[in-house]
Amino acid sequence: MSHTDLHLNTHISKQFNAELDDIRQRVLTMGGLVEQQVSEAVRALTEADGELGEQVANRDYKVNAMEVGIDEECIRVLARRQPAATDLRLIMAVVKTITDLERIGDEAEKIGRMATRLASNPPPNGSLPAVEAMGRRVSSMVHRVLDAFARLDAEEALEIAKEDSKVDADFESISRQCLTFMMEDPRTIRPVMDLQWAIRALERIGDHARNISEYVIYLIQGKDVRHTSLAQVQAELEGST
Amino acid sequence: MRSKDKDAYIETLDVEGIGARAEAPNASDVAMTVDGLNLFYGDKQALKDINLDIKKGEVTAFIGPSGCGKSTLLRCFNRMNDLVDTVHITGQIRLGDKNIFDKDVDVARLRRQVGMVFQKPNPFPKSIYENVAYGLRLAGVKKKRVLDETVEWALKGAALWDEVKDRLNESALGMSGGQQQRLVIARSIAIQPDVLLLDEPCSALDPISTLKVEELIAELKKEFTILIVTHNMQQAARVSDYTAFMYLGEMVEYGETDQLFTNPEKKQTEDYITGRYG
Amino acid sequence: MSEPTQITRTRAGTFGEWYASGAPWVWMTGGAVALAGLLVVGLLALIAIRGLGHFWPSPLIEAVYVEPGKEPTPLVAQLGYSETVSTARLQSAGINVSDDQEFYERRLVKVANRDVYGADFRYLLDDWIQQRTTPEELSVFERLEWGDLYGYLIQISEQGASVGEGDLWEEFRERHGRARDLHHQIERVQEGDIGAINYALEQLRLRERRMELNDNQSEQAMAEIERQRSELNAEYAELQQELQSLNEQIQRDSITVQVQNGRTVTVSLAEVVRGYRPNAMGLVAKISFYFAKVWEFVSDEPREANTEGGVFPAIFGTVLMVMLMSVFVTPFGVVAALYLREYAKQGVVTRIIRIAVNNLAGVPSIVYGVFGLGFFVYALGGSIDELFFPAALPSPTFGTGGIFWASLTLALLTLPVVIVSTEEGLARIPRSLREASLALGATKAETLWKIVLPMSSPAMMTGLILAIARAAGEVAPLMLVGVVKLAPSLPLDGNFPYLHLDRKFMHLGFHIYDVGFQSPNVEAARPLVYATALLLVLVIVILNLAAVRIRNRLRERYRALEH
Repeated sequence: MSHTDLHLNTHISKQFNAELDDIRQRVLTMGGLVEQQVSEAVRALTEADGELGEQVANRDYKVNAMEVGIDEECIRVLARRQPAATDLRLIMAVVKTITDLERIGDEAEKIGRMATRLASNPPPNGSLPAVEAMGRRVSSMVHRVLDAFARLDAEEALEIAKEDSKVDADFESISRQCLTFMMEDPRTIRPVMDLQWAIRALERIGDHARNISEYVIYLIQGKDVRHTSLAQVQAELEGST
Repeated sequence: MRSKDKDAYIETLDVEGIGARAEAPNASDVAMTVDGLNLFYGDKQALKDINLDIKKGEVTAFIGPSGCGKSTLLRCFNRMNDLVDTVHITGQIRLGDKNIFDKDVDVARLRRQVGMVFQKPNPFPKSIYENVAYGLRLAGVKKKRVLDETVEWALKGAALWDEVKDRLNESALGMSGGQQQRLVIARSIAIQPDVLLLDEPCSALDPISTLKVEELIAELKKEFTILIVTHNMQQAARVSDYTAFMYLGEMVEYGETDQLFTNPEKKQTEDYITGRYG
Repeated sequence: MSEPTQITRTRAGTFGEWYASGAPWVWMTGGAVALAGLLVVGLLALIAIRGLGHFWPSPLIEAVYVEPGKEPTPLVAQLGYSETVSTARLQSAGINVSDDQEFYERRLVKVANRDVYGADFRYLLDDWIQQRTTPEELSVFERLEWGDLYGYLIQISEQGASVGEGDLWEEFRERHGRARDLHHQIERVQEGDIGAINYALEQLRLRERRMELNDNQSEQAMAEIERQRSELNAEYAELQQELQSLNEQIQRDSITVQVQNGRTVTVSLAEVVRGYRPNAMGLVAKISFYFAKVWEFVSDEPREANTEGGVFPAIFGTVLMVMLMSVFVTPFGVVAALYLREYAKQGVVTRIIRIAVNNLAGVPSIVYGVFGLGFFVYALGGSIDELFFPAALPSPTFGTGGIFWASLTLALLTLPVVIVSTEEGLARIPRSLREASLALGATKAETLWKIVLPMSSPAMMTGLILAIARAAGEVAPLMLVGVVKLAPSLPLDGNFPYLHLDRKFMHLGFHIYDVGFQSPNVEAARPLVYATALLLVLVIVILNLAAVRIRNRLRERYRALEH
């Protein structure tokens, strides 16, 4: 069967249609908010905008509240509708996705706080462009995975999963760079440590985005691709389509 | 010839060690095999080329919309469709190596090996004891001791013994619906069939009675191969190991229940189990 | 927002509203039921009053009948019902009544003493019965022959010599008691012992005849028969002698009764069934007398062309015939229904058979009688006689009407009812139960035998109840196949083989017809018609209730599944 469409609005029970659609919409809304948090946190970091960092950090409660709300809705649907097959996978994917989204929110909050501290105590020159590039990459990952979730695009999700290794590579190189900065000038240790925390958070965000992409694949293909190598996943995806 | 068979059958009844079922000589894991089965009501084809292996000692559920032929298929396994004059069957169902539609098959004996429980509880208007002993008496068991032991074993097997042990001689019609259905199950297992067919056994029961019967199915699975037709998909998901989805007389999908209910292969199955327009 | 909905009635009940409320229908349907109930109660009440009143000892009056222009005549009578008759009608009947009155009351009186007056009953004008008194000494004597005797007891004689000075009535009761005892003894000897010997002699004769027909009259067997016969004859002679002496004894006493005009009638006490003085009886005595008469009615044999005595043989015949009929019709009907419903391929043929069976129920019963006579009695009975009872020929054994043929004819008559209701019952057994039995490894026959038949037994009983109700009331066909107005012996007695299926029998329905329309003594028979009718109704009700009870018990046991 074609997996490009979950036919979420074709249930005999219109009520059920509405509930599933509502959950999906709320996940996308939450995703939108998280995406904004991430990009603004990155902006605050790279532009040394302490105020923006502060704002990002203070907005995290919204993400948490949305997670709780969606969680409740999913529990309700599970209890009352006993969903099966794609419906069941959708609910499970949503429950897991919002956990990861919430974590992404937490990481964004961390970045925001670091941005505020770095604004008053800036890192050495030349350290930020690499961070900016990594931030763009991570932001785009978050954006694209939400897009894949919205469009139920398993191939795109797989691409995103591949992206994570690049993020890891970024993290590696920036870390090394930071180490150099700190060895060169011990006075920079404090801001560089903060920077180190921020890129650590970015790296985590990348991991969470990869998780979400795996849930999207599970949702669409019904296959659990966690803890498997990408090559294997790709082989399976190709095999099933 | 007939009575000779009967005697032979009585000998095979495991009288001494009731409850301990002998292993079949060839321990293959297939209880019954359906091979290219077509069934016609007059000109109308109700089952289309059904192929299926029923796993021994497992619960196989048949689901599908009304009129999809799942009950008809179930009734093929013990040749209940013989009662309908217009039915015409091609293909095979094998029990062991034997095609049950062969001319030399003794239908009564087949039905003792493939028991059946129906949609509505249908106890006979006799005492509880006589209901359970009915099949045994038919099989020619006369000894009071054997009857007593088997009735007790069957009622225990159907998780009913504690509820009825003090009123075995009262009419079965005085029991609740759920008890009646479990009595009917006890009646069916009393003759120790290999396979037990359940035709929507809970459709006339309240939720608690339904749960009791489902629990019972899980217990019975240890000793019998069980085939169950149900309208209730959740029930199929709860009780079965394998599930077959049928639609318009065809076997659309047959597979492990876990697989079928989380990630069905066919869109028709998906649509049916998630409650979508066909 | 709209106003709250009005649920109180807004208009006073118009006709339209009343009509719409359905009340007229309730009234109409209720009225129909009430009417039906009233009819049933009325019918039973009429029969009961007319029939049961007959046994009450009504007072005996002594009066003078004053007919204008004629000598006044003394009159001893029991008053019956009266009717209003126009003067003109009376005049045209030759009775000299004056035109002063337009109507007269005409009364039926029972004067009894048929041997004196020639008739038991007379119609007299009420106004002319004058000087009515009810002297206590007036007595009624019921006789074996000639009906009742009304008058004064004036003498009791023993061997022709007058005895019993003083209280004649006491003397009468004592001697009458003795006479009744002797009478019963005689009856016992006559019907019991002598009857048995006669039966045995007849059997001997038949055996002899059979040997003769078979041409194997061995000396030995003939001698044996002869020996037995002489033995029986000796016994017979002995009994005959006993009877003789009893008869002499019973003839010892006689009474002389004075009827009006000073005429006397002398009757042997042997002839008197019962003597009583209705005017001297208190209420308790009357009640006990009443029940004695009722008991006599249901337990005694009829006398005097069925107008006196009881109807026991008729009750017995009716019940036995119905039971025999049930025995014949139930298995036959059930088996037929079983085949039709369970085994026969449903199609045009079975439909035609069903229609035919249903139509059989509508065939007039007399047609069955004709069929019974032609087929059962003449064809079958004749053949049976030739094959099995050639010794008795030319007198027929089964070749004439009898209780067997009557029961069979009625069984045929009621067969459709049993078939139809059994089929109904079979059709009502839930399919699920049959399947349950089959699924447990039962064959079709086992399922039928163990599940279907027991469960449909209430329906069979229903069929039987309907059959009994119809059979017990049938008269017409029976007249052709075995019912007689007076059967010499019951079809069930102490002589082997006890049940004599070839015998003719009496039947309550036919008894009513016979007493009511064939009796020479119409007025005497009329109350008996009602009484017998009541009895017939009671017998049917009892038979039905018994069957209904059995059915209800079965129904309770096989209560249909509730779900």
